[in-house]
Amino acid sequence: MELQLGLALPTQNPIQGLNLTNNGLECSELRRPSFCIESHRHVKNKRSFEESFEYSSKSLPLLVWNGQPNDEDDRGGKRNRNAHPANENNEEENRLVGWPPIKSCRKKKIHQQHPRFPIRNAGGMLAENGDRGSNSSYVKVKMAGVAVGRKIDLRLYSSYETLTNKLFSMFNKCQKPEEEKESFTLTYQAEEGDWLVAGDVPWQSFIDSVKRLEIVRSGVAEST
Amino acid sequence: MPRIAYAFPDEVLEHVFSFIHSDQDRNAISLVCKSWYEIERWCRRSIFVGNCYAVSPVMVVKRFPKLRSISLKGKPHFADFNLVPEDWGGYACPWIEAMASAYPWLEEIRLKRMVLTDESLELISKSFKNFQVLVLSSCEGFSTDGLAAIAANCRNLRELDLRESEVEDLSGHWLSQFPDSFTSLVSLNISCLGSEVSTCALERLLAGCPNLQSLRLNRAVPLEKLVNLLGRSPNLVELGTGAYTSEMQPDVFSDLSRAFVGCKQLKSLSGFWDAMPYYLPAVYPISSRLTSLNLSYATTESPYLVKLVSECRNLQRLWVMDYIEDSGLEALAVSCKDLRELRVFPSDPFGLEPNVALTERGLVSVSEGCPELQSVLYFCRQMSNAALVTIARNRPNMTRFRLCIIEPRKPDYLTLQPLDAGFGAIVEHCKNLRRLSLSGLLTDRVFEYIGSYGKKLEMLSVAFAGDSDLGLHYVLSGCDNLRKLEVRDCPFGDKALLANAAKLETMRSLWMSSCNVSFGACKLLGQKMPRLNVEVIIDERGPPDSMPESCLVEKLYIYRTVAGPRMDMPGFVWRYTGP
Repeated sequence: MELQLGLALPTQNPIQGLNLTNNGLECSELRRPSFCIESHRHVKNKRSFEESFEYSSKSLPLLVWNGQPNDEDDRGGKRNRNAHPANENNEEENRLVGWPPIKSCRKKKIHQQHPRFPIRNAGGMLAENGDRGSNSSYVKVKMAGVAVGRKIDLRLYSSYETLTNKLFSMFNKCQKPEEEKESFTLTYQAEEGDWLVAGDVPWQSFIDSVKRLEIVRSGVAEST
Repeated sequence: MPRIAYAFPDEVLEHVFSFIHSDQDRNAISLVCKSWYEIERWCRRSIFVGNCYAVSPVMVVKRFPKLRSISLKGKPHFADFNLVPEDWGGYACPWIEAMASAYPWLEEIRLKRMVLTDESLELISKSFKNFQVLVLSSCEGFSTDGLAAIAANCRNLRELDLRESEVEDLSGHWLSQFPDSFTSLVSLNISCLGSEVSTCALERLLAGCPNLQSLRLNRAVPLEKLVNLLGRSPNLVELGTGAYTSEMQPDVFSDLSRAFVGCKQLKSLSGFWDAMPYYLPAVYPISSRLTSLNLSYATTESPYLVKLVSECRNLQRLWVMDYIEDSGLEALAVSCKDLRELRVFPSDPFGLEPNVALTERGLVSVSEGCPELQSVLYFCRQMSNAALVTIARNRPNMTRFRLCIIEPRKPDYLTLQPLDAGFGAIVEHCKNLRRLSLSGLLTDRVFEYIGSYGKKLEMLSVAFAGDSDLGLHYVLSGCDNLRKLEVRDCPFGDKALLANAAKLETMRSLWMSSCNVSFGACKLLGQKMPRLNVEVIIDERGPPDSMPESCLVEKLYIYRTVAGPRMDMPGFVWRYTGP
């Protein structure tokens, strides 16, 4: 039988007759698929099993070990499953499932925040707080009927409410008096290129995919 | 000579028992004799079931007819790290249904890692007239509709805590379902919710509940709104902010600061998503009152974190990201002499190179400077035996020590030796150590130390460690108080498992994944140990029936039970059923 996912080594000593005794089962030999992960693994003095521990008669073993030392001889097999050394990880975030052991709620936050980590410049100094360079999340905002667009840093907002409040105060001055009564809709261009009405998806999904914003007259939004 | 058990009438014994609250003591009482068992079971008010499959709801209801409070845990701990497939189990529904008919006076339900539906939430809200406490920790399967039912119907609700649960967030309107007459809320934790919650509804709720002591908001609550909310809840002891970021406005800053000061009981702060350095000093006026600070979502640079932390001289608990760096931890060690718990989380766990200057030195400094330090969770990228020995010698009072060296099997970076001696020193010196998580390069030696010294150890987590079955054997045969063992990617196999089969009945559970346990051993164990459920999680190779006995199983979960095989096993969980 072969190395499926690097699991089992060829069987050498199949399970022999199992004799039922008072306290458990005895088994003369049980296949032991030992292997060594790394050949430079430090090997200590081998001791026989009985020397290594106090055998308690209360333990009702299902297996009475015959005291053969664990042989670390079998170094041929190398476990491959999930054991890629860290420096093989290039594109994929985690080849090893569940490692490092971080809860998914925390992983999500890290994933979202990753592009916005503070960066160190060539001198090893942290970039100034205000100067986020390529780590910023500024998007262009245009409003219908306004010639000049604006840019805002989306990281400063944590909800649709705060964003729309800000946009309102930004563009309010641009409106002509007779336009004040009109209602507007906030739309955005998502990663895939299409334009959507803002507010349908949870805030964080919105942040992850928004590329540009546009404030359109409500009638226009509905007709497209 | 009269037997003592008959010396007092039942009512007197029951009165005496009513002063005994700890589960262990109650369990001990019930074992004294049959009449004490009977008296005790009728007056037990609260139970904790550490594994929901260890016992059935029917059995619980039958034995304890007058429960007021129940805590249940479902999935294995490694489910937190995506090692347990979806639909594995941990369903709360059968429990809720059983309790709905048996305990009309049930007051408290606490669930961890369980699957709960909206229907169950509705059932809870309608079945228990005096329902007061609902804590759902890392649960899933329900939506805000279920929460709406709780809000609408639980007139005496005191605590609603959704910590880290995955909630299908249909809308924020559920909060408005609390009636105007609702006044009993003491604790609300909605930090895990993604969508915006109506701030009007929040304000109204807070205004109506003068006894609110703990409020944890979600990220969507803007900083400006926080000021209003704080104004309405002056008795807060614990606060979780929403996003701690806004345009830099001096009036928001001063309002915020004033709002913090206005909450005169405030001792614990958390939240701080996206925390801006500009707003951190708003906390300074209350920093000496703070005993608990959770900055683990604050992606703020070291100097600002350090300044804040250094101001909080009475800090007992700090959770922070590794942005704090070694220098920050040194400052912590100088300022916070009452520190009891430290957790340092990785900001870039999947990166290949360190992105911050956080090493073993930070932890060593804290172990030197903080005499009360008992509980540590530390993610880092390098460690040495010397550092671990120093930490062990400094802090023999350590009770929980979880170290995660991010790269698996990484040796002592100074000597390139395994970290056996270092962790050995931890278990040797820290005689009250109850929980331990290992990482780095480790041989069977470390398990020999753990088996010899870890006599109080209750929970052990092992990954990418050991050389052979001896490692597992040392632990199972040596750790007298072991309750939970979880192992992944270690060369532990059949021999150690079968030789220590009886030990498994003294433990809550054993998880082994990517180890060397054969299907044959699982079958044997399942056959011979009827009070264990030996569950094999089947992978793409197919069910064990079709595999040769020598084939290795990928994931194995063994737990003791008096309820027999569970009825809700999905197709991908296999259990020995017969000859």
